[in-house]
Amino acid sequence: MTEAEGRVRTSAGIGLRSPHVAEVMATRPAVAFLEVHAENYMGGGPALAALDRLRHDYPLSLHGVGLSLGGADALDARHLTRFKRLVDRVEPELVSEHLAWSVAEGAYFNHLLPLPYDEASLDVVCSRVVRVQEALGRAILLENPSRYLRFAHSPIPEPEFLGELARRTGCGLLLDVNNVYVSCRNFDEDPEAYLDALGVSGIGEIHLAGHAENEADGRRILIDDHGSRVADPVWRLYARALERFGPVPTLVEWDTNLPELAVLLDEAAKARHLLEAAGRRERDAVTA
Amino acid sequence: MQSLRDVERDVARALLGEADGAVVASILGDGLSPAARLGVYRNHVFSTLTDALEATYPVVCRLVDPRFFAYAVDRYIRACPPAGPCLFEYGESLPEFLAAFPPCRHLQYLPDVARLEWAINRALHAEDAEPLDPTRLRGLSPDGAARLALRLHPSASFLESRWPVDRVWRANQPGADPDAVVDLDAGGVRLEVRRLGDDVVFRSLAAATYAFRSALAAGGDLERAVEAAQAAGPEFDLTQTLRELLDDGLVVGSSAPRSRVGA
Repeated sequence: MTEAEGRVRTSAGIGLRSPHVAEVMATRPAVAFLEVHAENYMGGGPALAALDRLRHDYPLSLHGVGLSLGGADALDARHLTRFKRLVDRVEPELVSEHLAWSVAEGAYFNHLLPLPYDEASLDVVCSRVVRVQEALGRAILLENPSRYLRFAHSPIPEPEFLGELARRTGCGLLLDVNNVYVSCRNFDEDPEAYLDALGVSGIGEIHLAGHAENEADGRRILIDDHGSRVADPVWRLYARALERFGPVPTLVEWDTNLPELAVLLDEAAKARHLLEAAGRRERDAVTA
Repeated sequence: MQSLRDVERDVARALLGEADGAVVASILGDGLSPAARLGVYRNHVFSTLTDALEATYPVVCRLVDPRFFAYAVDRYIRACPPAGPCLFEYGESLPEFLAAFPPCRHLQYLPDVARLEWAINRALHAEDAEPLDPTRLRGLSPDGAARLALRLHPSASFLESRWPVDRVWRANQPGADPDAVVDLDAGGVRLEVRRLGDDVVFRSLAAATYAFRSALAAGGDLERAVEAAQAAGPEFDLTQTLRELLDDGLVVGSSAPRSRVGA
């Protein structure tokens, strides 16, 4: 294990968005790693140049949002080539994508859209994950999406679907704790039961973010907008996840209403404290 | 039971407004209508794409006002959704869309302002490329030089307008004098837009230089670029124009003339 992997393994990082790049470059805050959206770095110019510099000081996590691994349309070969070129160039510690789709009939939605979970869709996603992992020459992590609808025919529960995907392809999981909370609350399900349904191994990264609470036709609906601090119940669910899965590199994401960098760093520090406590518990358990 | 492809096609069409969300029979209401559930996704899709277009076209947005911009790009997104997953590549056809969009047809200069903003966006994100070492062009025969194709930096593009779109753009930057008035009849411009270091810059070119550089950018060989330049202005000096082009670091490659086989 390299030193960089060690840092990723035990601590907390931040999602790096373009308005914060200059400040991060200038102040080099003490975070364990930086995560960027792969699709924002597929051109050249100052964005890529900044990433080239930052990767020498921070372990990187490359988070794809456009491979549409849950899509029935053919995998976009040009996009996969660009993805691989970026992976080869910046040598990230972690590479992740989503259990979602984003393109149909040639139209890209730049959003993580839901798919029904059945044997047929499991086969589709597995074949795509295998192809991506073969192209990249490494395993990827797959993230659970936030969900606002359910399909009438979707017989496999999401944690089981993810577990089977990991078992068949060798991919790891990126557990987005906020997404678990949002999805479960939107369908009156128990978020802790969701965590319990996931296998204890194979979680390679955790995501945390804020969500919003909206109303539609008198019904409360939680929206995963990454636009505020992590909500208290999500922190509690995160602590519960660390009890179950042990310390896992954790990322705080913020995309809309982007705050001062200091606020994001403060959220990452909170995650780090919980991670350190989980690490102590794990060591105590070993020495006891 | 529908296939995954059919489910996704139905959802995609409903998101773009081609079908009512209610027709997506595969979705459970769970206390809401299926259409309302799809609406959550549609809102997110449209707000992401609208934000991306606003980031690429801030001056157009300011000129038409943000509410009209949101209305126009809503129509644009439905008509021309992204063809790829990188948001910085979305919106190239917005200038043509605006030119044909009846509610803003009276703003005749608007499509060219949009073309300038697209050129700036393209320059910012273009692939990196190293300038060509000029010594590599030494020793070419005059005939060989005529058939030489020079590859310009991927960030460079050329834009001609009968409106002073450069002044319109500058007058609508943050910090610009809010009382400044741009005379739209002040004459047209021929602009070169490119990346210089980390910045995007644009400047106005003389007619012959513009003709020469834009002919090369369009893939023409040196002979064709010279013809275009001479047609545009008799003052054209090839040696000097070529040296300036190399000094500007705009040439990143050349393809040697193919030897003619047979004949």
